[in-house]
Amino acid sequence: MSKSAVHRPRRWDVSFSMESGQTVEMTEDDVDRILTLPPFRDLDPSGFKRTLPLRDILRNDARFVDYEPGDVIVRRGDWGSSAFYVVLGSVRVELEREDSTLQGAILGQRESRRKPLFETVAQLWRNHREPEVRIPAANETSGVAKRHQHGVVRIYLPDVSAVIENYQTTRLEAGHWFGELAALGRTRRVATVFAEEPSMLMEIRWQGLRDILRYDRTGSLKRFIEDIFRRRALTSFLRSEPLFSGISDSRMERIFPHCPLQTFGDYDSAQPFKEMIREGSDPDANEPVIVEEGDYPNGVILIRSGLARISCTHHNGRRTTGYLNPGRAFGFEEILHGWKSGTPSPYDSRLSAIGYLNSVLVPTFVIEGLLEDGEITVPDSVLPERGSQPTSSRGIDENLLNFLVDRHYVQGTATMVIDLNRCTRCDDCVRACAATHDNNPRFIRHGPTSGRYMIANACLHCLDPVCMIECPTAAIHRDRTHGLVVINEQTCIGCSQCANNCPFDAIRMVELRNPSGEMVVDAKNTPLLEATKCDLCMDQLNGPACQNACPHDALRRVDMQEAASLEKALSR
Amino acid sequence: MSPFSRRRLRNAAMFALVAIPIVVTERAFVATLRRTELFTGCMLFGIVLVLSGYRLRKTVPFLPLGTSTSWLQFHIYAGLLSFVIFAVHAGLRVPTGTFETMLWALYLSVFLSGVIGLILSRTIPGRLTLRGQEVLFERIPIFVRQLRTEAEALVTSCVTDMNSTAIPEVYASCLHQFFQRPRNLVWHLAHSQRPRNQLLYRIRETERFLSKDEQHVLGDIAERVKVKDDLDYQYALQATLKYWLFLHIPLTWALLVFSLFHLIAAMAFTVG
Repeated sequence: MSKSAVHRPRRWDVSFSMESGQTVEMTEDDVDRILTLPPFRDLDPSGFKRTLPLRDILRNDARFVDYEPGDVIVRRGDWGSSAFYVVLGSVRVELEREDSTLQGAILGQRESRRKPLFETVAQLWRNHREPEVRIPAANETSGVAKRHQHGVVRIYLPDVSAVIENYQTTRLEAGHWFGELAALGRTRRVATVFAEEPSMLMEIRWQGLRDILRYDRTGSLKRFIEDIFRRRALTSFLRSEPLFSGISDSRMERIFPHCPLQTFGDYDSAQPFKEMIREGSDPDANEPVIVEEGDYPNGVILIRSGLARISCTHHNGRRTTGYLNPGRAFGFEEILHGWKSGTPSPYDSRLSAIGYLNSVLVPTFVIEGLLEDGEITVPDSVLPERGSQPTSSRGIDENLLNFLVDRHYVQGTATMVIDLNRCTRCDDCVRACAATHDNNPRFIRHGPTSGRYMIANACLHCLDPVCMIECPTAAIHRDRTHGLVVINEQTCIGCSQCANNCPFDAIRMVELRNPSGEMVVDAKNTPLLEATKCDLCMDQLNGPACQNACPHDALRRVDMQEAASLEKALSR
Repeated sequence: MSPFSRRRLRNAAMFALVAIPIVVTERAFVATLRRTELFTGCMLFGIVLVLSGYRLRKTVPFLPLGTSTSWLQFHIYAGLLSFVIFAVHAGLRVPTGTFETMLWALYLSVFLSGVIGLILSRTIPGRLTLRGQEVLFERIPIFVRQLRTEAEALVTSCVTDMNSTAIPEVYASCLHQFFQRPRNLVWHLAHSQRPRNQLLYRIRETERFLSKDEQHVLGDIAERVKVKDDLDYQYALQATLKYWLFLHIPLTWALLVFSLFHLIAAMAFTVG
C-alpha cells in the first residue's frame, strides 16, 4: 500500500503576524524593536531553550498591528487571549458606567432584549417556514460598522469624537500595556478599547507570554504582570473572598508582595481534552496537581479563573469529592487546624486543575499572621460561607460527580441535564427549540450518560468558553446582561473556528436560506454558513423553550456553579 | 418526601376539593328531582375542549402559556375530573341509543388511552435505561442495517476464507430474519428475554460443530445478536411511548366532534 508523506503540523507553521489574512510578516528589525520595549528590554535571552529562543518567540507570537481611528481593538466581555502595547498613537478605554455604556449593537454584539408580548405572539405569523432563513437587509440596518483592513474584518466606531464626547473614556498613550491580565487569566476583557488616532500596537498572544514567563531567568515579565495584577485587580479579588473581606487596607498592602499569581494546565486544553475523551484515557491522571494530598499546606489557594478538582485516594484509585470554581478557596481548614493545634495538618485531598486554571496563593505565614492578629475571625465550628466549601457532592451520586468532572461538564452554567427515568423521548424539547430558533433545533437530545442522567449535546454556556478563542470577528461573545455565550448572526462569517474549538461539539454550522427557501450562496456558488448554538432563549419571554416544553420535568438547565441548583436537579 | 410526591399530594387534594362538591351538588339536585344532565354535559364538554388544548399549546412553545409540566399536571387531574363528571352525567352503564353508545365508548376509549399513556410514560423511561445504550428512535433502523451488514460480512467471510457452510446455514435458518428489522417487540414489552436466550442457545449449540476460527466468527455474530436485541428492546419501548398518542389524539378529535353534535341536539331538544 502506498503512503503519502505529509508535513507534520508544528507550532509556528503560521506565525501570529501571518494569521487571519495578515500579509506583513515580522522581521528581525521588528523583533529588535520589541526588545526595546518594557518589560522585554529587561529579559535575559540566555535562559531560553535552544529550541525555543526568545527572538523566535517574539517573531512568531507577536505582531505589529495598525489601527485606524475608531477601530475597535478589544470589546468588554470578549475573550482575552493576547496582550497589547501601544507603540504609536493613542487608544481610548471606555470606562463602564451603567447609564453611559457603548451599545452592544454598535460594537457588533447581539442585542440582549426580551421580546415584548406583541413580538412574542407575532412569532406565530412572522416565523419563517424554511429553516435558517436570514434576511440580507438585516445586515445593512444592524448599526455595526465594519471594514476590511489588512485582510481582516474590523468593527469600527464611525464617529470617534462623538463617542469620546458622550461616553466616559480614558486615554492610553504610547508606552502603555493593556489586556495582559485577561490574556493570562483567561478571563473576560473588562473594558472596550478603540483607536483614537492612527495607531500602531504590538500584540503578543498568550502562548508567547507563557513561554517567556517560563524561561526568563530575570523574572522581569512576571514581576511586571504581577505588579499590574496587584495594582489593578488583587485588592478587589481578595476583598471578594469572605475570608479576607475584613482586612484593613494597610494590612492588605503588606500582604500583596507575598501573594504570587499562579497558572496551571494547558491554555489550549480544549483540543487535548477532546482527544482524551475520544481515546477514553483517565482525565484525572492528566490534570496538573496544584496541591498533593498529604502535603503540608503552603497557603490558601484562591481560584481566579478555571476549575479545580478535589479528589482523595480510594483504594488504589482516586475518588472525586468535589470541585472548586472561581472565587473559591482551598486549604484554609488545614492551616486553621494547624494553627489551633500547634501541629501542622496536611491536606486531606488533592487539588488539581481541570483544564486551564489561574490562582492566587496566600502563603501560610500570611494566614497565620492574620489569624494571630485577629484580622480573620472564624468561629470554632463554622467555616467561611464561600471559603473552602466546594461546589459540593452532597446528595449527588459519586459516579455521577466523577462523570461530570471528568468530562468537564462542571464548566457549564446552563448544562442540559436529562433525567432518563422520566424522559419519555417525546422530543417536545427539540420541537420547541426548533419552533423558537429558525425551525432548526440548537441541540441534539443525545449525549453521554451516567446512570439515569444524560448530558445532552447543547451549549453549556461554559464558565471558560474556549469557543470564543480565535473568533475573527468576535461574533461569538458573552452577553453583557446575562453572561450567556451567544452568536451575533450579523457578524458571524461562518469560519467554523468556534465549532472546532468547542469541546462539547455544541456548535453547529448551518447553511443559510433566503425567505423563499433557497440556499444562500456566494459568488463561487458555495453555500454561506453560519455558526448556531443554544442561546438559552434569552430573547424569549418564557426563558429556555426546551425546559418549559418538557412535560415530565425530565429536562433541566443546571448551573453547575450553584451547589443548590446542582443538588436540586440531580438528587430528585 | 420527594418534590414529585409533594406535587402529587397537592394535586390530588385539589382534585378532591373540586370533585367532591360537584358530585355532592349533583346528587343533591337529583334528590330534589331536578334535571342535571344539561349542566353536567356542558361541563364535561368544556373540560374535554380544554384538555384537547394541550396539543395546541405544544405547537406554540414561544407563547407565555406556562410550562408544559403544569399543563400535563392539569391535563391528568382535569382528565380524572372529567371521568367523575362523565360517571355522573352518563353513568357507567352502556346507553341504549346507537349514537349515545358510540359517544360513551369514545369517551371511555379516550380516557383509558390517556390512563394507559400515563402509566406507560411513568414506567417505560426507567426500563429504557436498564438495557442497551441510549439511542435516538429515528436512528435505530440505521444501526440495525449496520449490524446486519456486519453480520452478513462475517457470514460471507466463512464461505470465502474458510470454505465452510456451517455458519451460513445457521444464519439462514434463524438469524437472517432476526437481522432484517426490529423483532420480538411484544416479548420486549413484556420485559422477557426468551427470544434472545433461544437465539443464543441455538448459537451455542452450533459451536461444537465448528473449528476454532469459525467459533471466533460465531462469537462475533453472537455479540451482534445481543446488540441487535438491545436495539429491538429500545425500539419496542420507544415506539410504544411514541405511538400511543396516535390512538389518544385522533380519538379525542372524534370525541369532540361527536360531543358537539350531541350537545347541539341536546340543547335543541331541551329548548324545544
